[in-house]
Amino acid sequence: MAVLACLIVDQDRRAQWLRGVLDLCVLGLLARGDSYGYELAQSLQTAGLGAIQGGTLYPVLLRLQRSGLVTAYWREGGGGPARKYYRISAAGLAVVADAAGQWAAFAGGVGAILQERTAR
Amino acid sequence: MRHEIWLAALSEELRRHGVGPDLAGHVVAEAAGHLRDSGEPPLRAFGPPDAYAAAVADSVGGPAVRAASGPVRLRAVDIVKRYGKRTVLSGVSLTVHAGQVAAVVGANGSGKSTFLRICAGLVGAASGRVEVHGTLGYCPQSGGTADFLRAEEHFALIGAGRGVSRQAAARAGARQAAALNWTPNDAHARHLSGGTRQKLNLVLAGLGDPDVLLLDEPYQGFDGGTYLDFWHEVWRWRDAGRSVVVVTHLLNQLDRVDVVLDLSASATGVAA
Repeated sequence: MAVLACLIVDQDRRAQWLRGVLDLCVLGLLARGDSYGYELAQSLQTAGLGAIQGGTLYPVLLRLQRSGLVTAYWREGGGGPARKYYRISAAGLAVVADAAGQWAAFAGGVGAILQERTAR
Repeated sequence: MRHEIWLAALSEELRRHGVGPDLAGHVVAEAAGHLRDSGEPPLRAFGPPDAYAAAVADSVGGPAVRAASGPVRLRAVDIVKRYGKRTVLSGVSLTVHAGQVAAVVGANGSGKSTFLRICAGLVGAASGRVEVHGTLGYCPQSGGTADFLRAEEHFALIGAGRGVSRQAAARAGARQAAALNWTPNDAHARHLSGGTRQKLNLVLAGLGDPDVLLLDEPYQGFDGGTYLDFWHEVWRWRDAGRSVVVVTHLLNQLDRVDVVLDLSASATGVAA
């Protein structure tokens, strides 16, 4: 029971972390090249962020599109119907560059505190 | 749930949440692609259609707030109203241009309905001035329907007062009713539920396409879906260049209206 509670708390915390960085991760992936929703979800999973549901991912993409950080276009798939591809804008690239430095400092701070605690 | 059923429901919910047809088409096509690629059941990938539609509507934001660009349709200046010794409105002003939606908010007893009735010319004010440039439609909070008339007879009656022929009024009424998810039948108004009577009231307010629509909490008794349909109609009226004033105590639409008149702020003049 206690183990289960721990698991739930862990998942909860993970979900909260993800909420804070999902848009940046999506931007970071798009900085490597244009992509579409399902492919982005797979890349996020491969990167170790877990399974991101469509219901979470697409609203993030819409917000990025609305704020001008990405643009979208439809491209015919190989034999299948068209897919909506996303491309990062210059403003989006600037955000990724900014966030990379900020995140490194933030994660470094958190890491230093946590490691200090376990080293005692 | 089969994909097609879920996607059709999503389409309908996006419309209800005021997402335009072009964007809605893209959202549905993208979701269909995702379901095809991932092979996941829609409920697991996206959740219930109404919740996903709400998330989409949230992400794209409401219709953009409009700057005052059209001509002034309604101008109320320094309206003062007293009931006996109690001052209900102490110098309230509101200007609404064509293509704008104004919300009148405030606590119970702050004079929201009184203000609207003064704008409609149904109640006199102690001082102040109201200008209406164009035709006027008014939807009361309740009442306003005739117990022994059918919906279509209401359409004909109100239409006649606005110079609309019986057939045209019946057509316009049926169209407007359908937008509120209501198909009028032969029942007398006294046999309609409270929510349906309010739908009738709302349809009557819009008959003949008045330039100014004054709506006094017209959605009482509406279910959640119809409430969204109601706001959808408000955006449609706005896009058609009408001026809409809505009295409301529900604040979740306020970031999507153009003008907010908060009568709580003027409550200093109200006796405690």
